[in-house]
Amino acid sequence: MIKRVEINYRGIYQKTLARRIGSDLVLIASRLGKVAFSNGRYSDAPERDGIPCKYFVFVSPDLPEEELEAECGAKLDIDVADVSIVLDDTMVKGVEPWAWHGVRPINEKVSADGCLLVVTRREPTQLLAFIAAKPHPYRLATLEGDASLSGLWVFKDDLTHERVLGAVAAVDPGIVTIDAVADYLADEGREPRRAEAARTAHAATVQRIRPVAPDAGISWTYAIPELPAWDAFGEGVAVPGVERRSELGPGGQARNAGFPRGTTKTERPVVRFDLCTRCTLCWLECPDGCFDPTADEYYDVAYAYCTGCGKCAAVCPVKECIVMVDELRFEDTASPWAAYRRDPAAYLAWAEGKKGPERRSYAHITGTGVEVRPAPAVRARRTRKEVATR
Amino acid sequence: MTQTSDLAFDRIAGVRKTPLEEFYASGHRTCQGCESALVMRQFAKASGPRTVVTGSTGCMYVANTSYMTTPWVVPWMHTQLGAAGPSAIGMAAGLRALMRKGRIAQERINVISFCGDLGGGDMGLSGISGALQSPYDLLIILYDNESAANTDIQATGLTTYGAQTTFTPPGKVHRVMQRRWKKNVAGMLAVGHPTCRYVATACSAYPPLDFLNKVRKALAVGGPTFIHTFDPCPKGWDYHPSYSHELGELGIKCGIFPLYEIVDGRVSYTYDPKKKGRIPVREYLEKQGRFAHLIDEDVAYIQRRVDAMWEEWEIPGVAPLKGGLRPA
Repeated sequence: MIKRVEINYRGIYQKTLARRIGSDLVLIASRLGKVAFSNGRYSDAPERDGIPCKYFVFVSPDLPEEELEAECGAKLDIDVADVSIVLDDTMVKGVEPWAWHGVRPINEKVSADGCLLVVTRREPTQLLAFIAAKPHPYRLATLEGDASLSGLWVFKDDLTHERVLGAVAAVDPGIVTIDAVADYLADEGREPRRAEAARTAHAATVQRIRPVAPDAGISWTYAIPELPAWDAFGEGVAVPGVERRSELGPGGQARNAGFPRGTTKTERPVVRFDLCTRCTLCWLECPDGCFDPTADEYYDVAYAYCTGCGKCAAVCPVKECIVMVDELRFEDTASPWAAYRRDPAAYLAWAEGKKGPERRSYAHITGTGVEVRPAPAVRARRTRKEVATR
Repeated sequence: MTQTSDLAFDRIAGVRKTPLEEFYASGHRTCQGCESALVMRQFAKASGPRTVVTGSTGCMYVANTSYMTTPWVVPWMHTQLGAAGPSAIGMAAGLRALMRKGRIAQERINVISFCGDLGGGDMGLSGISGALQSPYDLLIILYDNESAANTDIQATGLTTYGAQTTFTPPGKVHRVMQRRWKKNVAGMLAVGHPTCRYVATACSAYPPLDFLNKVRKALAVGGPTFIHTFDPCPKGWDYHPSYSHELGELGIKCGIFPLYEIVDGRVSYTYDPKKKGRIPVREYLEKQGRFAHLIDEDVAYIQRRVDAMWEEWEIPGVAPLKGGLRPA
């Protein structure tokens, strides 16, 4: 028997966290007399900031090491997972990994009666509004917490690591038991709070496992591309370029349809078009070129291509004109400019509703802090045309 | 001698005059807030549709070519890590031969070759030197994110003194492991290739449009030309990606990366610290995780070297030489 665990994490930001969870699960399983190993998904390296990645752990109580490795090693991806861990809840909107596999449901690999374990502050029903329906039942567990994002050089020691180990023991004691996790974390003179955090998370997660019926969730709209095999390549490796195109309006610019990579974002820019001075800076400075110039000199946002870096909000000279907002508040990637043109008042009300009463500003060094302040109220500005008609 | 301001070229006069069309499109695998991707987008925008691009191995190769998709609208070819110069010569020579033989129409086709700081500043330096002595019209752009960023941040000859990288992790005994001072590639190439008519440094973030216009100017000057760009890298410099523009601007304003262009041997400063002043380098260093281990002493050392570059060098920011022949 083999237990398979996958850890879905944000590239670079959670690289150290995912690796530590993976290697510790191996060490704890070994103490229980099991054979285990862990590895990263080959196609994820080299990682990029924010692009969803995977780490795997394989545990077997009965197979010898060689057989386990022959069964699970050197594979591009796994077919099924007994536990899929999600370290950042915005990935429930789908993950598009490095190597052009299409936007895939986060629970794609979860086996029948397997478990999707999400670190989140949201309720399971809120998450299921984004997760694809599966043909078989599975379990959904939530571990209350924020996504622990930090930089390449830093391990953010906020106990997420210990808490996830405890939660894994809660959702599948066949992988590791909570006593083994706690013993391991109490070893080598480590502070008692580490084992305590794991035990507390274990107890909480046991209460927060719910079954998901076969039809629960949404129907998945993204097509999964057929990857050409090596013998389907032409002579040399020539790839057709993006077709030349530049028109004003939503979606008017040439774009690489093969890799939209919108699943990289944890936040998206919300634009108050009424405050926009048309200075062009968001468009000029966007590394991803996801702003579409419009005929009235505004810049529409192609959210499917936006990676949520927040540069546009940082360079925008107008307060409250571009604000980064939690990605899970949005259902689709529809054009905001088109919505504004249809009904300006309704769009502004919608945008302010999405933005909510608080603004987050991040410390310069990744993962070292977030400041949350009350949002200033900025009244709708009347356009020149509206002023003239009064 | 041609004065910089005399040179006629199709200058982009203001942000609203920037061409709308993209030739390096959305949908690539770079990090959030990647300034090197912005360098690609801006040079492609500035040079326009009649351009062929070659790029050596590095972030901007790997991030733009995975599994049968590409963000390039103009033709692009991958070349080996050290081959930015030779591949540009090959492309330019090939186009010239095809035009001479009448196989393709006689027209101006821009040849642009890009390389990272490892590919260009270290490994491919001899090839770039060869290209700058060649008789062809080509532009080499060195996008400098100060590490081998593709393979998870190894130190290169262009990494800032003191920075943490995979090769230079700070330890308990030795705090500063990156002890080499940043290689002065643009200055070296300008000083060493007197027939190269245009060498410049630029930052895609600051000042706005400066990089686009330098690309236009390099292509208008003709012959082999070189631009070195300064690209904040959220992954390796370890900062929140929304600050990419700010880090670029601070790097220029503190004087650690000099901004200038050299046309026919005449140096003009795009950001002249003598007129505009310099902010302390600490303001730039303290906002990056890669310098989090530095102490006051290290920051003071970096500040002294930057001060020396602007106050003691004969040609500040370009050539680290003093004295020389003086009139008797």
